[in-house]
Amino acid sequence: MTLEPPGRSLSDFTVELDVYSGPYEWLLALILKDELEIFEIPLRELVESYLFARRPDAANGLERDTDFAGSAAALVLLKSRTLSPAIDADTEGIEDEPLSPEELAERLTEYLKIRRAAEHLRNRFASNAGHYASGHTIPPRPGSLSIEPDRVSLAARQVFSRVLEPPVRHLGPITVTLQELAGVIRTALAAGPISFERITSDMDRMNRAVAFAAALSLAQEGSLTLAQIEPLGPLILEPSG
Amino acid sequence: MSEQERKLPSPRPAHLVEAVLLVSASPLGSSDLCSATGLSESELKRALACLRERYAPEASGIVLRDVAGGYLLSTNPACSGAVERFRREARAAPLSSAAHEVLACALYLGPLTRAAVSRVRGVNSDAVVRSLIERGLLVEVGTDREAPGSPALLGVTDEFLAATGVSSPDDFPPVDALVTQEELSRVRERLASSTTAPPESGGEPS
Repeated sequence: MTLEPPGRSLSDFTVELDVYSGPYEWLLALILKDELEIFEIPLRELVESYLFARRPDAANGLERDTDFAGSAAALVLLKSRTLSPAIDADTEGIEDEPLSPEELAERLTEYLKIRRAAEHLRNRFASNAGHYASGHTIPPRPGSLSIEPDRVSLAARQVFSRVLEPPVRHLGPITVTLQELAGVIRTALAAGPISFERITSDMDRMNRAVAFAAALSLAQEGSLTLAQIEPLGPLILEPSG
Repeated sequence: MSEQERKLPSPRPAHLVEAVLLVSASPLGSSDLCSATGLSESELKRALACLRERYAPEASGIVLRDVAGGYLLSTNPACSGAVERFRREARAAPLSSAAHEVLACALYLGPLTRAAVSRVRGVNSDAVVRSLIERGLLVEVGTDREAPGSPALLGVTDEFLAATGVSSPDDFPPVDALVTQEELSRVRERLASSTTAPPESGGEPS
């Protein structure tokens, strides 16, 4: 048996993704060095790749699983932080205040329009793909670069500023586990497809959030499928198979 | 005039425009074409009409496109497979849904800041914006001097207009026309029903 250096149990694990192909360890290094955008990495595909290549009978199988679970969890955290709304220290308290129904309706309406516009753009990009212009590109002329001191100063502030932890004051004590709510969902699904709203109708916000995470977890393991026919419409949970 | 130019017959206006367009990797406006070829506006129009006929999609492997406020010679999309094989490169991966949403924000609500994009989408969009700037589809067009820190304002680029096949942002349909009143009504109904629902049993503060 060959002993691998600590933390190198995944040195032979390679991944094939649209945005990257190569050793998993290099992928982690590229993400940490900001050479690759974490939001472009499909974490689900990454996990599926590992499960496919998993070697439970290997001498270091448990160590590999542990190392992968640890690194994958870190990627999930990193990606979720990247996608979290930016927090401005000056407006932190203001953002915690709930929106009025009118404001919420206005925001949702605006987002719906943008989403439809995005779909329109997707079609336009697709129908105009495949045009290649002349390969002749005029090189930039020397001395045409202009630097605005304000922009440099702002960029420096952004680079060296500390990322603020998201506020969690609005969350109460967690009194329920993912497993408990997964059990509730499984029981509800025994009678056939059911909407998420119906399952969580008598739950508070924390329980709903954990129930949603449980539903995602069950969907990930293939126990159920999630369907939402139209934006903002009901989320239907259907038993798999 | 060079010795070679003196020996050759005088080129027709369409030939001059064709030559200039061939060496340009980005769309050229009428004024640039007139300036480079020495043609008048009316001569340029006639030359372009002639080139449009010659480079019609059904007649040539090259097409004349009227995009981003100018004219551009490009390969015919019907021939893209051969071009891609020759260049040994795959077509750029399609943009993500998030990227399309950010571009839609810049197109219909822009110029706007990164924070405004994130506010509309409800999630941090900085990484998507960075990626679109790198792809040349978004650009910082100025700064919001009234906001703290003077954040940059984002707008779409000529490359974006060329990639979507339009001459100007005005060629896109109005954003209100993309959503039906029925859809908007459904959203409002759902909101109304959720706000009039009985309070949660957990009793936690909203």
